Amino acid sequence: MTEPAEKHESIEEVVFAYEPSPEPFWKRHIYDFIIAAVFLVFALITAFSPQLGLDMPFFTKLRTNFINDFIVENRFMWLVSGLGTTLIITVMATTLGLTLGLTLAIIKVLDYNGKRIFFVTRLAEYYLTVIRGTPVVVQLMIIYYVIFGSISVSKILVAALAFGINSGAYVAEIIRAGILAVDRGQMEAGRSLGLTYGVTMQKIILPQAFKNVLPALFNELITLLKETAVAGYIAVADLARAGDMIRSRTFDPLLPLFAVAAVYLVMVMGLTQVMSKIERRLRRSDNR
Amino acid sequence: MITVEKLCKNFGSLSVLKNIDAEIKNGEKIVIVGPSGSGKSTFLRCLNLLDQPSAGRIMVDDVEITAEDCDINSVRQKMGMVFQHFNLFPHLTVVENIILAPYQLKKLNKDDAIKRAYELLDRVGLREKANEYPIKLSGGQKQRIAIARALAMNPEIMLFDEPTSALDPEMIGEVLDVMQELAEEGMTMVVVTHEMGFARKVASRVMFMDEGRIVEQGTPDEVFGNPKNDRTKLFLSKVLDH
Repeated sequence: MTEPAEKHESIEEVVFAYEPSPEPFWKRHIYDFIIAAVFLVFALITAFSPQLGLDMPFFTKLRTNFINDFIVENRFMWLVSGLGTTLIITVMATTLGLTLGLTLAIIKVLDYNGKRIFFVTRLAEYYLTVIRGTPVVVQLMIIYYVIFGSISVSKILVAALAFGINSGAYVAEIIRAGILAVDRGQMEAGRSLGLTYGVTMQKIILPQAFKNVLPALFNELITLLKETAVAGYIAVADLARAGDMIRSRTFDPLLPLFAVAAVYLVMVMGLTQVMSKIERRLRRSDNR
Repeated sequence: MITVEKLCKNFGSLSVLKNIDAEIKNGEKIVIVGPSGSGKSTFLRCLNLLDQPSAGRIMVDDVEITAEDCDINSVRQKMGMVFQHFNLFPHLTVVENIILAPYQLKKLNKDDAIKRAYELLDRVGLREKANEYPIKLSGGQKQRIAIARALAMNPEIMLFDEPTSALDPEMIGEVLDVMQELAEEGMTMVVVTHEMGFARKVASRVMFMDEGRIVEQGTPDEVFGNPKNDRTKLFLSKVLDH
């Protein structure tokens, strides 16, 4: 009788054979380089248009606008500090959202498993219904103008709180789905060894649940990062607001808004990279 | 020793176990057979409260586990269980699967737990798989690891819930061999299975269940050789003739 392990190894070889052989870096990113080169050439032409003798109004205007938008009064620093604010809000809101979401998910799963904590479960359900049923901008303004209306409090904190509370509702549903997707035999196996419900949850169920929902959680993080752009509604000088402030000062919408869009885009692309690295590490235990 | 008194289990309006009385002494190897839907697995799962009985009492070594205030976790630490679908923890390596419970429950420190895990792996003949993830193992190997994982808690009783039903025929032998060795070492075992050969060889008592009742029990020779109940005869004629 052949060892079954050998069969598995040969299957693995077949799988690897179908993976595309890694192309060289420049070849994989050929279109990225072309696009970047076009932008660079365009920027250089604009910057050096007088020296090049290109006396076209299009280039002249773009040059003047660029100087007005970013150089005069060091206005690019508005974008930099706006970026800082956006990042601070996002980090705080994500932390709060994950904490809230995990707690709510466990409360709902406990309820599903018949370990009903009646009052708390009801509260969680109201929270989910109200938060997911109303726009985040409205929640943000309610928290700032109504709840903290008469108290002086940092706007950044209020924004972090509002986005965190909002994100928590979505994270809760994501994690809950992840927990329910873990085979019920896992809980039984843990309990049959004499582990408590809590330890089994923590050591066996949650690690598998998190792995399953990681793409969805990152999706939520990306959404949250971009959603903070509405913090301007309570006059927080975040990245989007900074771009808008430049626009209203220079009356040029094109460059500041594109600059803001580019910064968000780069951040999301960076996050996606991080995400795929983490995912690859977590996938060690299966050869999908 | 396990004593079961008037055990009933209902799923909704469906009555799966009907007033079961049974006694399992230390060192006994009980094999439970019967048609599907007869309540064999539910009976087994009631013994460590994976299924909560609807009525009746179960005593394990003078501890009434069906009592409200019973600390079931400490009782379960003495009762290993092996499942039909293995239920290995896929995010942990083989050795991590085995040490998880003894280490978490502070039965052993990490070094001793790992040493013990390797002893158990030698016993089931899978030392070289220690650092593999379960997905890389065949069904038979998974089940042997599952047995090792249950043994890591040094249980006094082992419950087997159709341990070979999900296996390819060629892998059933390797699992039954491990179980037979365990039986020869004197482990108290309760096994739900369709492997009649195993029942004949290993069982000290065979229980035949049908429609939520134990309709006949005795030594393998009595039950297989000279069944008294009509339902038993019918069942055995169906499974033994092939």
